[in-house]
Amino acid sequence: MKIDRLEKLVGRKLEIDELEYDLQWIGLDLEDINREEQILKVEYNPNRPDYSSPEGIARTLKGYYETELGAPTFDLQKSEIVVTVDPSVKKVRPYIVCGIVRNIDLDEEEVATLMSIQEHLHWAVGRDRKKVAIGVHDLDKVKPPYRYTAVKPDSISFIPLHGDGYAMNLEEILLLHEKGIEYAKILEGKEVYPIIFDSVGEVLSFPPIINGILTTVTDETKNLFLDLTGTDLNAVNLALNILSTTLSDMGAKIETVEVKYEGGENLITPNLDLNEWEIEIDYINSYLGLNLTKAEIIKCFQKVRLDAKESKKQGYLDVYIPAFRGDIMHSVDLTEEVAIGYGYFNIPKSIREGCIGMYHPIQTFSNKTRTIMIGAGYLEVLNFILTSSEKLYDFMRQEYEESDLIQIANPVSKEYNTTRTSLLPNLLETIRFNRSEEKPIRIFEVGDVVLLSKEEETGAKREIHLSAASYHEDADFTEIRSTLDFVMMALGKFNEYEIKAENNPSYLNGRYGEIYIKNVKIGEIGEIHPEVLLNFKLEFPVAALELNLQKIM
Amino acid sequence: MTIKLKKQVIEILIVLKKKKTEQLASLFAKELSIDYIVAMAAINDLIDHDLGGFREEEINQISLNEEGRNYLENGLPENQLLKLMRESNVKEINMEELLVKSKLDNQIFYVGLSNMRKNCWITQSQATGENKIFLIAEEFPETDVEKFIKTFKANPTRVYSKLSKNEQVQFNLLNRRKLFTKEKKTQRYIFLTNKGKSIKISNIEELEQVSKITSEMLSSGTWKKYNLKPFDVTKPGPLLKAGKTHPLINLINKIREVFISMGFTEIRGPIVESAFFNFDALFQPQDHPARELQDTFYLNNPKVARLPDRDRVLAVKATHENGGDSGSLGWRYKWDENTAKQTVLRTHTTSTTMRRLAQFYKDNDKTPIKVFCIDRVFRNENLDKSHLAEFTQIEGIVIDENVNLSNLIGLLSEFYRKIGFKKIVTRPGFFPYTEPSMEVAVYYDKLGEWLEMGGSGIFRPEVTSPWGIKDPTRVLAWGQGLERIAMPYYGRKDIRDLYINPIKWLRQQPY
Repeated sequence: MKIDRLEKLVGRKLEIDELEYDLQWIGLDLEDINREEQILKVEYNPNRPDYSSPEGIARTLKGYYETELGAPTFDLQKSEIVVTVDPSVKKVRPYIVCGIVRNIDLDEEEVATLMSIQEHLHWAVGRDRKKVAIGVHDLDKVKPPYRYTAVKPDSISFIPLHGDGYAMNLEEILLLHEKGIEYAKILEGKEVYPIIFDSVGEVLSFPPIINGILTTVTDETKNLFLDLTGTDLNAVNLALNILSTTLSDMGAKIETVEVKYEGGENLITPNLDLNEWEIEIDYINSYLGLNLTKAEIIKCFQKVRLDAKESKKQGYLDVYIPAFRGDIMHSVDLTEEVAIGYGYFNIPKSIREGCIGMYHPIQTFSNKTRTIMIGAGYLEVLNFILTSSEKLYDFMRQEYEESDLIQIANPVSKEYNTTRTSLLPNLLETIRFNRSEEKPIRIFEVGDVVLLSKEEETGAKREIHLSAASYHEDADFTEIRSTLDFVMMALGKFNEYEIKAENNPSYLNGRYGEIYIKNVKIGEIGEIHPEVLLNFKLEFPVAALELNLQKIM
Repeated sequence: MTIKLKKQVIEILIVLKKKKTEQLASLFAKELSIDYIVAMAAINDLIDHDLGGFREEEINQISLNEEGRNYLENGLPENQLLKLMRESNVKEINMEELLVKSKLDNQIFYVGLSNMRKNCWITQSQATGENKIFLIAEEFPETDVEKFIKTFKANPTRVYSKLSKNEQVQFNLLNRRKLFTKEKKTQRYIFLTNKGKSIKISNIEELEQVSKITSEMLSSGTWKKYNLKPFDVTKPGPLLKAGKTHPLINLINKIREVFISMGFTEIRGPIVESAFFNFDALFQPQDHPARELQDTFYLNNPKVARLPDRDRVLAVKATHENGGDSGSLGWRYKWDENTAKQTVLRTHTTSTTMRRLAQFYKDNDKTPIKVFCIDRVFRNENLDKSHLAEFTQIEGIVIDENVNLSNLIGLLSEFYRKIGFKKIVTRPGFFPYTEPSMEVAVYYDKLGEWLEMGGSGIFRPEVTSPWGIKDPTRVLAWGQGLERIAMPYYGRKDIRDLYINPIKWLRQQPY
């Protein structure tokens, strides 16, 4: 966005530093500032697709600087052009709205804006053309009335834009054309495909894929025909309104088209009528913690380019919302508009007292355990819950079935394809990462593991574990057993627990035990099996323990 | 006054008294089988009592270089050539032939030849047309240079000033042939002063010095007569491999304390979450980009979650389709229950907050309620220096009647002030489930920078009304990534550092 262009639109001298400060108060974040070339890059705001052009931003800035207040107006004429809609499109892409743009005289920057606004609308409003697709045509190349219908994929051929210059049928376009390949998924499984013809059977467009070459927009183009097709009437209307008001602000003349849905409604589009909304004054003040008068609130609305006037209903306002605003669906949305108009920086701070705080018992117990481990001379580490089945099972010499795992459907990489069921593999990896450090290395972690559990609403539960590992030449069972005894004593469980000698492939036979309290297994302790050590590329023995803290609490 | 000396110093004094003359310190130490340093320390003790001293002498030490050592082993080139001729029992030989036989380097061969001439062992003649060497001497006694070089067998280093006149001549001859290395060194000679020579050992008292006090010394009272060896207190001690909590845990606990001090209660919720609580209950439309695969981890196992009570599910469905009874237009599309049953790794702790709202409805709770959560969340991101697939989120909410945006700004100011940021700014922002929404930035004195913290706002009525929370009861909420505070706080530039546990950093990082 060039500053001089914005200056022209706003009608006032603008400084880049001033803009940097001001834009934040109308809800825009700056991505980049190029002071040399006087260019601002604004972060896209998904809530305000009408901000995807300098024209759109300028409208609100004019309100902010109070050079123009209230809802912007646009000159809209009626054209004689008619589009008929065949009911067959209901099965594939039910909605179309259209508009005419006359006398366009766009400079290079305006053409670039037009391209980028289409891209934004396709993405944000159109959900990558699924919900809304936009077609822009040279009006003078085709003969109205136009017809929006659905046809069998192989029944129609035409020369698509950006193709090799040959006619292709619709099936071929989806298979061979660059855009066809990209968007074929939208038409997947449909028996008929949407198409727009003119009165002599020329193809304007095969939405949402590609236009025909016939209506290509060139430097010579004077008049445009806009078609917006999609699956959501509100969304296609919004996109059309944003597009046509922006073109209007660029100096073009906008005209309506009559869209006749056969066996249904007739629409005149674009419809730039203001939407009306009733809102209570007390509601706004109560929501914002302000005490504004009716007049002050009306001024706030006008500053953000809405209109408002006193309603017939006592204590209410009637608010008028421009047709390019798609983000108002509740009174709270208008309340926020008042806050922006008033200026967030003007809203006072106030404190509401009350409530008594409480720690979560699991966190408290976790911290208690940390204190004990530090007393035992262990250093705390933190690892991800995300891990790999290889580290969790293969490296640890444990057998497993895929069905035992939490399985991520779309992992970033094989390294993170599941969540951990024990902390120990992470500790061994931490030791590997630090193995050149001075020995002994004694580390511990208190953290979550995730376990499958049919009883849980979401099919899995989390539990807090403690794991500790000692790594040095003389690390052995005796050392880790002393640590366990210390921990259990400190937790007040010294007389309750016992260790049963067992075998476990991750540990050395004869140096492994399972820890029990009242016949419930609460953990494991032992010397790590040499093969496990080698899997983790370790050079000294490791003595380790893992406890399920939630079973001790 | 009696003189007190350590036992070892007294022993050294006795030896020195017997020696009468000054002693080379290094030799003396060797003789007594003690360290040179110990010997010199003892002399220093003697100096303290004016009993002894030392003087330094600079010497030129000479030793054979590599070439010289080679000749020491195999003989000088002239001797090698002589040996060759005598062994083959010839009186005359062609020079070229000798050169080849000798296997000597050209230059060295000629040096050898010239010395043979100097020693009057040979003569050379070209009378026959070829360059011939004739052995002319009858006997070949050991030369002086030979004798000299051989002295280095027993003593690899010798002192130049200690050489005899003749040896000095030989040295200079050989030195011209570049067979030596010379080194300047300082030697110390130790001696006794007159006082040292005359003092009677019986007049000296033994001083006992120890490096630590033993239990026996304490109980017997003998500690009084010991002198504790002083340490260099300026030097750092060896590394203590002790335990300590992780910096992130310290920060989490600090923030938990701030929440508690402001009356908030800590909550905890599932990591494996239903799309219902993670997205739908937050009024995120089912085609919202944030729900897509590239942003969210979906699970194949467990694949589906159970939804809460039917009437609540229908209430959420209604807000999406037509606003339900929230006063909203809704998103106006057909809401799909199966999509809501998908399981995900929660993308924010707000799913846990939503469960608290569900509980609020179920228990028919009374306002005000303040809860917070600091816990792990997951996003489908590639790891780089500013992104993690798993991180820690901080979140707080207030449910109360007539709470408003002004209260929220006050709450945020107080919260961040307690964490340590005095200046805060709140600006318009957009978040799908709050309205009005605010972005929060704080000023960090230490860096002199504004830092983006996170989002905040009042939960949309579409989010709260299915759980019976209706105007004028509202929900204030704010949240952010813990790492956004942790990185500047701990001076890290790479977010991954916080979860890879470099032990060195963990040990050094202050609380």
